[in-house]
Amino acid sequence: MTLEAWILFALVLFCIGLYGVLARRNLIAILIGIELMLNAVSVNILAFNHFLAPDPAVGQIIVLFIIGLAAAEAAIVLSIVLTVYRQRAAIDVQDLKELKG
Amino acid sequence: MNHQLIALLTVMAPLVAFATVLIGFRSKHTVASSIVLISGLVTLVGAALLLFNGPVDGTVFSARWFVIGDHVIEFGVLLDGRTRMMGAVVALITFCIQIYSLSYMSHDPGRGRFFAFLALFEWSMLLFVFASNLLQMFIFWELVGLASFLLIGFWYEKPSAVAAAKKAFIMTRIGDIGLFIGLILLFQTVGTLDVVRITQIFAGEGLPESIAPGRIELIATLLFIGVIGKSAQFPLHTWLPDAMEGPTPVSALLHSATMVAAGVFLVVRFHELFLDAPGTMRFVLIIATTTALLSSTMAMVARDMKRVLAFSSISQLGFMLMGLAAGSLFAGFFHLTTHAFFKALLFLCAGSYIHKFGTNDMVAMGRAGAAGKMKITTIGLVVGGAALAGIPPLAGFFSKEQIIGSLHGPENLIFRIGAYAAAFLTAYYTFRMVFLILRPGIDSEAIEEEPAGSQHADAHDEDHGPAEPWQIVGPIIALTLGTLGAGFLGNRIGHTLLIEHIHHPALAEMAPAIVIALLGVVLAWLDFGRKGARQVGFIARLPAARTLFENRWFIDTVYKAVFVRLAVGFAKLMFGAETRGFDGGADKLGQGTVAAGSQMAKAHSGRLQFYVGTAFVLVAVLVFYLGLS
Amino acid sequence: MIAAGLVMLISVAGAVVAVSVKNIVHAIFGLGIALGGLALAFLLLSTPFVAAMQVLIYIGGITIAMIFAVMLSSTGKHEPGEGARRRVLAGIVSIVFFIAMAWVVVGSDFGPLMELAPEDMESAWSVQAIGRALLNDFNVAFELLSVVLLVAIVGAISIASRHDEGEDPAINEEGGA
Repeated sequence: MTLEAWILFALVLFCIGLYGVLARRNLIAILIGIELMLNAVSVNILAFNHFLAPDPAVGQIIVLFIIGLAAAEAAIVLSIVLTVYRQRAAIDVQDLKELKG
Repeated sequence: MNHQLIALLTVMAPLVAFATVLIGFRSKHTVASSIVLISGLVTLVGAALLLFNGPVDGTVFSARWFVIGDHVIEFGVLLDGRTRMMGAVVALITFCIQIYSLSYMSHDPGRGRFFAFLALFEWSMLLFVFASNLLQMFIFWELVGLASFLLIGFWYEKPSAVAAAKKAFIMTRIGDIGLFIGLILLFQTVGTLDVVRITQIFAGEGLPESIAPGRIELIATLLFIGVIGKSAQFPLHTWLPDAMEGPTPVSALLHSATMVAAGVFLVVRFHELFLDAPGTMRFVLIIATTTALLSSTMAMVARDMKRVLAFSSISQLGFMLMGLAAGSLFAGFFHLTTHAFFKALLFLCAGSYIHKFGTNDMVAMGRAGAAGKMKITTIGLVVGGAALAGIPPLAGFFSKEQIIGSLHGPENLIFRIGAYAAAFLTAYYTFRMVFLILRPGIDSEAIEEEPAGSQHADAHDEDHGPAEPWQIVGPIIALTLGTLGAGFLGNRIGHTLLIEHIHHPALAEMAPAIVIALLGVVLAWLDFGRKGARQVGFIARLPAARTLFENRWFIDTVYKAVFVRLAVGFAKLMFGAETRGFDGGADKLGQGTVAAGSQMAKAHSGRLQFYVGTAFVLVAVLVFYLGLS
Repeated sequence: MIAAGLVMLISVAGAVVAVSVKNIVHAIFGLGIALGGLALAFLLLSTPFVAAMQVLIYIGGITIAMIFAVMLSSTGKHEPGEGARRRVLAGIVSIVFFIAMAWVVVGSDFGPLMELAPEDMESAWSVQAIGRALLNDFNVAFELLSVVLLVAIVGAISIASRHDEGEDPAINEEGGA
């Protein structure tokens, strides 16, 4: 497999994730999309790391950081989901318009 | 025991006591006072051992503190004649006052704190005296100021005490600025912080030729500005009379061996430097003589016993500085020592009366029968007063004689006249005080009124045990004996200071001073002492002078009118600038941001996904634009 | 080659399921499949340690946490469907972005590839190398990440455990208005 193939694969994943984020109304579904996008980035980095980088450890560490941050982010988002649900018995983003001016 | 250990014990015992009491026993008064007394005793014994068989030359025991470049900053104890002598005086006076405070403060709810502060005061003064380098000297100089601030404002619930404490602190700070700049300049000039080395430089080879000739004068003048503040010399003397707001033992300590003595000791310490600056010495002489005369006149009309003593302290400090400025280290230092004894004694006597009668007014005390009820205190008062007035053969006579003797030569004539005049006034006002208490005229014209600083908090009924408990009598007797004997220790002190040749004035030289002192006493007798005296003093016939003296030459008034008004005006200006300028601007900035934010918020839809989609489309557009162009 | 194609196929298929099915629990299963595929992809990219972490944290942790959240919020069955217009718009944005990026990727020259010699692979890709880098060059980031995780845990607990707020609908009505 060539580098381009891996990168295009990552891009496909990223765009699927983006579609999920944009199209879905359920907060958890949006979170799924975000996770897909993050993973796409990880694949991207590891592909570059595999084919180009002289020091392979660096790319892996960046991916590990991404995984760690994704875990933290998922924890926060899920707790927000629970709170939102408790407040209005639905987790539809279209209801969340408090930021509207 | 070697000297190093003794020195360490001597200077550190008060600190240990202070820390222990403040941390653990602030409200356990008996324990607190015991700890402080033990530390005072340790210090006294240590200081005495150092005095009697300590090293004669300038031996330094030190511990490294930190290093900057080539300069090693140390904490040290410098043992030479001056520090050993001064240290012993400080330790002795402090110990007497600590014992005295046992009784005097026995009913005060905060006496644990009081004793802790006494220990702090002693510690800072000792380490200032024993300081082996300029930095340590400055630090403890300031700590002495802090401790006296804490003690003057000890009764902090009294607004006048708080005001007096603040005044003392601020007035001395004015002088400290001068001192600080002076010390920095001195360090820059000689390149060392070591006190011994500095003394050697100025005593021996002097400064290198390359130093500008006015440099030493400048340094000496700046140092002396610090002394003006600390030793309450004109024109910064106004804080000392107000400092009477503290408990009387504090006043005794403040006026004899610590706070104000620190200023004089600074001149003693750097006397070689001052000798190299004749112009500054002249300036010192002028200030000191002015101070001695001015404060004597103020003392003539004061009714408050402690205030009389405060003014006398100022004038005696002037005397010391006159002696030092005239070039005689021995005269100034001798007077510093003897003055410590009799001034502490006088204050303890005053405190004893105040404690008993609950008033500071001398007339009221006399009429209440002070002389008959408190015999030992009254004997102490008479001895101390005679010493202050310079009656032979008491302590004050010899040292004052030395000072006047050092003012010889035609160029000092005016200062000698000033000194004689001040001595005369001193004798007069001292015996005015003595006679007002000793021989109260019930139907005399003296007005009995309540002075502002009267300390009712101290007053107790007679049921509270004997009028003169041992804690009060003991120190008074000890200091009385000291006052009687200290005058004959001149040779011994001179020996300790390594001064070979002490000028012993002949009887003929002493005669004018004796006559003048006696004249003052006689005048006081005529005005206050004899049967049927009017007890208002000759000054009552000179209303203008009386008004002037009673208002302390309007110096405080002028300060208030000029400096306070200036400061208030400046503050008002700044307040306007602050509220309308800086703060107003900041407020406007904040309001503007809020307004802009609420305007901008209207443009928001609150739809997250719309934002995300827009962002990615814009990225794509940007990529196409960059790629195609 | 075939293995890589297979892995990519599995991942993309899982991802498509994850974003398209209506039932949210099924979507999470789809995400799990996609993540598993990606773990295999990481293996192929010769990073077994990261692959293991992917399985542990993503599949073992995050997806499970999502399922918990779904169960607690019980919206799985009553998922409101998205309108067609919404899907089309989202698809257009995604495709435009894909075209833009793919254009960039295809047009780029990545220079000479620098694959390591097989004998160096073993040491360079080892966990030891990662650990060394993590505690030397990336130590600050590593510690910061641990702080972030701690804060996230505390924050998640505090956000999720605010019972007193929101039980009164009237307040929410006002707050939302």
